Amino acid sequence: MLLLFVIYPFVYTVCGSFLKWKGRSIVGVAGVSNYQRVLGSSDILNVRRLLKLKGPPLGALVHNLLWILIQVPLSTALGLLLAVLLRDVKGGVVIKSVIFLGMVIPMVVGGILLRFIYDAHAGVVNAVIRLIGLGKYAKTWTAHPDTALYSLIVGSVWIWTGFSMVLYSAGLESIPKEIFEAARIDGASGFRIFWHITVPMLRPITIVVLTMSVLWALKVFDIVFVATRGGPGGASSVLALEMYFRAFYHMPPDYGAAMAIVTILTLMTLGFAVYVFRLVVK
Amino acid sequence: MARVAVRNLTKKFGNVTAVNRLTLDVRDGEFVVLLGPSGCGKTTTLRCIAGLEAPDEGEIYIGDKLVNELPPKDRNIAMVFQSYALYPHMKVYDNIAFPLKMRKYPKSEIDRRVREVARLLKIEELLDRKPKQLSGGQQQRVALGRALVREPDVFLMDEPLSNLDAKLRVYMRAELKRLQRELKVTTIYVTHDQVEAMTMADRIAVMNNGVLQQYAEASEIYSRPSTVFVAGFIGSPPMNFIECTLVEEQGEAYLDAGAFRYKLSEEQAKLVREKASSSELLLGVRPEHITLHLKPVEEGIKGRVYVVEPLGAELIVNVKIGESILKVKTPVHGELKVDQEVWVSFNRDRVYIFDKRTEESII
Amino acid sequence: MSRKRVLIHVVAWSIALIWIIPYLGVFIASVRPYSEIVDGWWNLHPFTLTLDSYSAVWNHKTYPLKRAFVNSILIAIPATIIPILVASLAAYSFARFSFPVKDMLFLTIVALMSLPQQVVIIPVFFLMSDMGLINTRLGLILLHSSFGLPWIILFLRNFFMTLPVEVEEAARIDGASDFQVYFRIVMPMSLPALASIAALQFNWVWNDFFFALILLLSPDKYVVTQTIPMFIGRYLISWDKVAAASILDMSVPLVVFALLQKWYVKGVVGGVIKG
Repeated sequence: MLLLFVIYPFVYTVCGSFLKWKGRSIVGVAGVSNYQRVLGSSDILNVRRLLKLKGPPLGALVHNLLWILIQVPLSTALGLLLAVLLRDVKGGVVIKSVIFLGMVIPMVVGGILLRFIYDAHAGVVNAVIRLIGLGKYAKTWTAHPDTALYSLIVGSVWIWTGFSMVLYSAGLESIPKEIFEAARIDGASGFRIFWHITVPMLRPITIVVLTMSVLWALKVFDIVFVATRGGPGGASSVLALEMYFRAFYHMPPDYGAAMAIVTILTLMTLGFAVYVFRLVVK
Repeated sequence: MARVAVRNLTKKFGNVTAVNRLTLDVRDGEFVVLLGPSGCGKTTTLRCIAGLEAPDEGEIYIGDKLVNELPPKDRNIAMVFQSYALYPHMKVYDNIAFPLKMRKYPKSEIDRRVREVARLLKIEELLDRKPKQLSGGQQQRVALGRALVREPDVFLMDEPLSNLDAKLRVYMRAELKRLQRELKVTTIYVTHDQVEAMTMADRIAVMNNGVLQQYAEASEIYSRPSTVFVAGFIGSPPMNFIECTLVEEQGEAYLDAGAFRYKLSEEQAKLVREKASSSELLLGVRPEHITLHLKPVEEGIKGRVYVVEPLGAELIVNVKIGESILKVKTPVHGELKVDQEVWVSFNRDRVYIFDKRTEESII
Repeated sequence: MSRKRVLIHVVAWSIALIWIIPYLGVFIASVRPYSEIVDGWWNLHPFTLTLDSYSAVWNHKTYPLKRAFVNSILIAIPATIIPILVASLAAYSFARFSFPVKDMLFLTIVALMSLPQQVVIIPVFFLMSDMGLINTRLGLILLHSSFGLPWIILFLRNFFMTLPVEVEEAARIDGASDFQVYFRIVMPMSLPALASIAALQFNWVWNDFFFALILLLSPDKYVVTQTIPMFIGRYLISWDKVAAASILDMSVPLVVFALLQKWYVKGVVGGVIKG
């Protein structure tokens, strides 16, 4: 089963990205032309806007990278802080469960929730904005090119922080109490304990959290599909979505380009995995 | 019930030889203890007999049958593990009944036997509990029960008492011994605890580095250790060893230890000359075979008190002679001060001499 | 409580509030008529309680959630059981028996875990159309089962490694065959791990959108996650109905989570940490 539905398709995709496709049939070797076409397309890499340092749409590849750069550090750090903070809070377990719900619900619903809170009229974000007197900025945040991508990224922090928090909580429990007690007796302050003891001891967890978060940020699909469909004008598009459009949405399908996109995606994933692996081995 | 014979057993893990050409005979109904420090190969030997490990070389017989190729379940053995290895999801009753169920005994027979064993081990009231709800001692009994219920040919026990607290261990030692006497089942018992070995075994097999050092009754192992290792391993505190060389002067033989000389008797000298591979020797004498004197005596060796360890009725006095320390076991002596001058003398009949190179016993 | 502790509590509960508000909003929106929530579910006047949205989406004409629920369940249950059965045997051999190229095979499996769904989907789509499995539940079951295998094998292998070998050895001496050791000793001892896996795999399949989107084409085969976006109009979103559908959709994984919370979190933690 693994061979048929996982390994074989994987190899097929990588090989297919170097072939010339006409519909479902292979009509020749394409070399790297699929890649040229993909990377040359402004949907994937919008060089012109990038060079002018403009806002989105900058191309799906750039969007994925922005996603990693913003969401991963934010949800990792927030998860760690929450894990440490909620240890001493009454009802912390309940709060943790609530925050973890983002990992339990379907991503599709996650996307709906984001679209919902950012809605111009029905959305709670705009209600808060009006409440603090900035009513003129109220809008459907996901429907404007400038803000669509960033509001989704911030929203994904809301969804994914639960993961790092739960892992860090488990990690904290596995640190022997005596170590903290010894540090206190040695005269370390709360902050220094956190920085010199907690953080280094949680390093293995941090590596896992970072890895998983980066992989998710690379693969992100459902949220974007449901909340914005990559719009407006590709301003919130991501690689997985572009691949979907090329292979299963546009007519006729461009399998070569789609395979090239996922191969790029896989290369980034594997590259990152190898990097982390070497980090761990060190 | 059956005898067990191990012939030239060798077992390697990678390039570590866990058991090296071990030959061992266990008589029908005998209680044999495999004794040695951890990593000496005793547990591996037991696991080979059980069929949990396949020997690299050699044969194992149970009864008169060669069992090398038989899986554990067909060897008619029972084993008690150090961790007890109870089935955590089954009640005590089902734990004990499991071997019988696997052999498809009729239900009524299973019930009869389980209850009989439970009565024997006094765990009847625990039958409905899960292993987690039992104390260590109770779990230990259940593990025993599971082994007893089948009436196997051979009992194999891997440090079954080492997880119990000291008091319970002493009690269970006697219990186990009594049970074995009663049932007359051939038993092979692995431990690193020499007291357990001495008190329970009919014969003790002392192992080190995968090699059988000595296989004999407890008293023989104590009084006639065959190697330096056995001499040092058995006895508490362990035997004192002093490096020395054989010196001959005017027809007399001495052991020269630097700080003192020990004069050999005629017979001793003769044995040493015959057996020693060189003049490098080890003089061995147990702490309980040294006498402590406060005044000079004939053949006494002068030293100074280094440390005194009181044990209640007795003392262990560490006496410094030259650069070496000798442990002496002695009844409580009036006043002993650190650095005080004392004299020690050896009980001549209880002095051992070993060949330093081969580590074999000479006397 | 010291001032500092009070402050910590205030911060913590404010964060909790931020996290709960979207759920709260979508829930309130789902039980009120559209006219009352279009300008904000937090305006509580007037407040009319109604389950109309629920019945509307449940019995929707083209995309009835009722049918989607049946489809989702018919896919999620087999796609949970099959990989667990297959993977547990594989994991057991990885943990207990040594055979040639074991380490290589194992590393491959770990590597496969990080493969994105997108990377296999085009060839899988071809395969499924050749096998006539497009638009069938069986196709999705097979795909999810295969995709679940690597992590379940990894998880179970790690769990099996923590089980004391001695217990299995005891069973073998007591007369059990390899088969009996597995089903009478190992499986019952693994129930907590199996509960974790079942909960996670079930939710994973239930929550999946991408595979369903590509392999299930006709509305009568749609699963729940696939149905939800259908309620979003192009320009006007009827939040009452979307909210009701979302609540229904997430209720299933939430119930699974609530019932098996302890094992669920253990699964998430164990699945990635030890790996």
